[in-house]
Amino acid sequence: MLELRPILSALMRSKVSLVLIGLQIALTLAIVCNSLFIISERAALMNRPSGINETDTFTVGSIGFGADFDLRASIAEDLAMLRGLPGIADVAAINATPLSDGGWSQGISLDKDQKSPTAPTALYLTDEHGLNALGARIVAGRNFRPDEISGRTRQSLAWPPGLIMSRALADKLWPGQDPIGKSFYINVEQAPSTVIGIVDRLQAPWVHKQRVVELSTVVPQVVSDGSFVRYLLRAAPGQRDAMMKRVEARLAELNPGRIVRDAKSIEKLRADVYAEDRAMMIILGVVIASLLIITALGIVGMASFWVTQRTKQIGTRRALGATRGAILRHFLAENFVITSFGLVAGTLLAYGFNAWLIQNYETARMPWYYVPAGCVTLWLLGQIAVLGPARRASRVTPAMATRSV
Amino acid sequence: MLKMNHLSKVYRTHLIETHALRDFSIHVRDGEFVAVTGPSGSGKTTFLNIAGLLEQFSGGEYFLDGVDVRGMNDSARSRLRNEKIGFIFQGFNLIPDLNLFDNVDVPLRYRGFNAAERKRRIEDALARVGLSARTRHYPSELSGGQQQRVAIARALAGSPKILLADEPTGNLDTQMARGVMQLLEELHAEGATILMVTHDPELAARAQRNVHVIDGQVVDIHAEPRMRGLGVVAAQAAHG
Repeated sequence: MLELRPILSALMRSKVSLVLIGLQIALTLAIVCNSLFIISERAALMNRPSGINETDTFTVGSIGFGADFDLRASIAEDLAMLRGLPGIADVAAINATPLSDGGWSQGISLDKDQKSPTAPTALYLTDEHGLNALGARIVAGRNFRPDEISGRTRQSLAWPPGLIMSRALADKLWPGQDPIGKSFYINVEQAPSTVIGIVDRLQAPWVHKQRVVELSTVVPQVVSDGSFVRYLLRAAPGQRDAMMKRVEARLAELNPGRIVRDAKSIEKLRADVYAEDRAMMIILGVVIASLLIITALGIVGMASFWVTQRTKQIGTRRALGATRGAILRHFLAENFVITSFGLVAGTLLAYGFNAWLIQNYETARMPWYYVPAGCVTLWLLGQIAVLGPARRASRVTPAMATRSV
Repeated sequence: MLKMNHLSKVYRTHLIETHALRDFSIHVRDGEFVAVTGPSGSGKTTFLNIAGLLEQFSGGEYFLDGVDVRGMNDSARSRLRNEKIGFIFQGFNLIPDLNLFDNVDVPLRYRGFNAAERKRRIEDALARVGLSARTRHYPSELSGGQQQRVAIARALAGSPKILLADEPTGNLDTQMARGVMQLLEELHAEGATILMVTHDPELAARAQRNVHVIDGQVVDIHAEPRMRGLGVVAAQAAHG
């Protein structure tokens, strides 16, 4: 038998306790719901596929020095050696990789007279081995031919005639249309390029730039000025770590006139680029756990205090016919009422907090089910927290009613 | 109505056994007003607790309204207590955060009456003690005498078979005590069975029958003329 009305009217006479514990529950609900939502958003962000084989791939950089260092010749020599190395599935020179947080970007225009580009894009400059080395999947059109590969210097203004792009970019430029053969401009001052192939997915290097992260273009060129080159290698399955060491050693042997450095697996790049997100998730997780524990302890403390304070009252109720179960239910119901007050306020606070985050930090709208799920969790938490004190109350002897203290 | 035969109560610790009641026998009949008296520590409260099913006893028999209460579990004792006994405590034991209506409602809710039945009983009980107009007041807004009247209303509302009163005027001044005692006498005159524990001989003298307890044993059972005209009742042996 629940006694909600008398419980409610009794609580209304203890407004300070009600407000304090209600406020704690309200804040907990608001913070827990929004934190969980932020965690889920970060998790979703981190779980997006990059479109490449991250398990077997790695990059390594080479910086030549000396007046006679010839980058083009060095690249050709390195690639020939690396492609013949047992344990290497494929290799290419590339200006940037997904998840590296650094690379080239340009705007794409569909019309020569356009004042602002239709879409931004990341640019991957690589040869005909690039996509295979990445493990990216061509889903329409074709890969580059060796004869289409050229060198690119700082002075280059024109872009090659045939380019490959990610499906997300093609869909953005030509929604619902077949993009193969379509023309576009990377530089409106120059001749247009044509789409010759589409890869299923190829993330840009900047995973936190939502506007561009899925919009990539692959250019059949290799950077051929300066002294730095980055190689992307795909090892045979299970041999990546061994090959990283071997490749570094072989490159150093091949040409002592350069520094070989920054050998990194793509998995390491992923871990680094999402390090802040992971830290944020851990911190928020700790905040959530702490808040829930503090709230539960608050409820335990309050209920324990009330049980002690009302021992005589409980004895009287027992004397008047309350069973142990009735006393237990009384305290559970009382906690339910208090928690419900907090949750009503917390619901408003949770949505308000989310609106504030949307306005100030461009976060997404929290799905509706977070708050009801949070309410159920806190109701359960409250009931579990109050169970100990409630059981203690139920063990108060009815003879307490006749004791003078 | 209430019959105890050779009842005993022993409190045990790992060091000592304390015999609170020994070979305690009493028989309270329907409609009687019995006062149990005795000095402090004599076992009065233990007797009241056992009579009110607030405590278990160690040996002997106890029948309440014909029901043998030996071996009853806690829930069954709670239900029997709720149905058969109305308590009037020395300290009133009202719940301070509930108004008078809700205070009287407490035992009725445990009985499981529906809302309409409870309302009728509460209004009748409060009317009987002269507090109909104050149902929404809280205990702190009443005098001690009025609070004890509320406690009596709470005891009456469930139509119990017996009223157990524990020093019902112990926390009241003389004038209020007189009023409460008068109310108990009126209830008795209307047919209520009352068992009152008190150390006040003057109060005890207003009962039909006095049972004197010393060291956990009944030492004297006698009937006296009521000081205020409720008639002389023949002495009854407590156990036959």
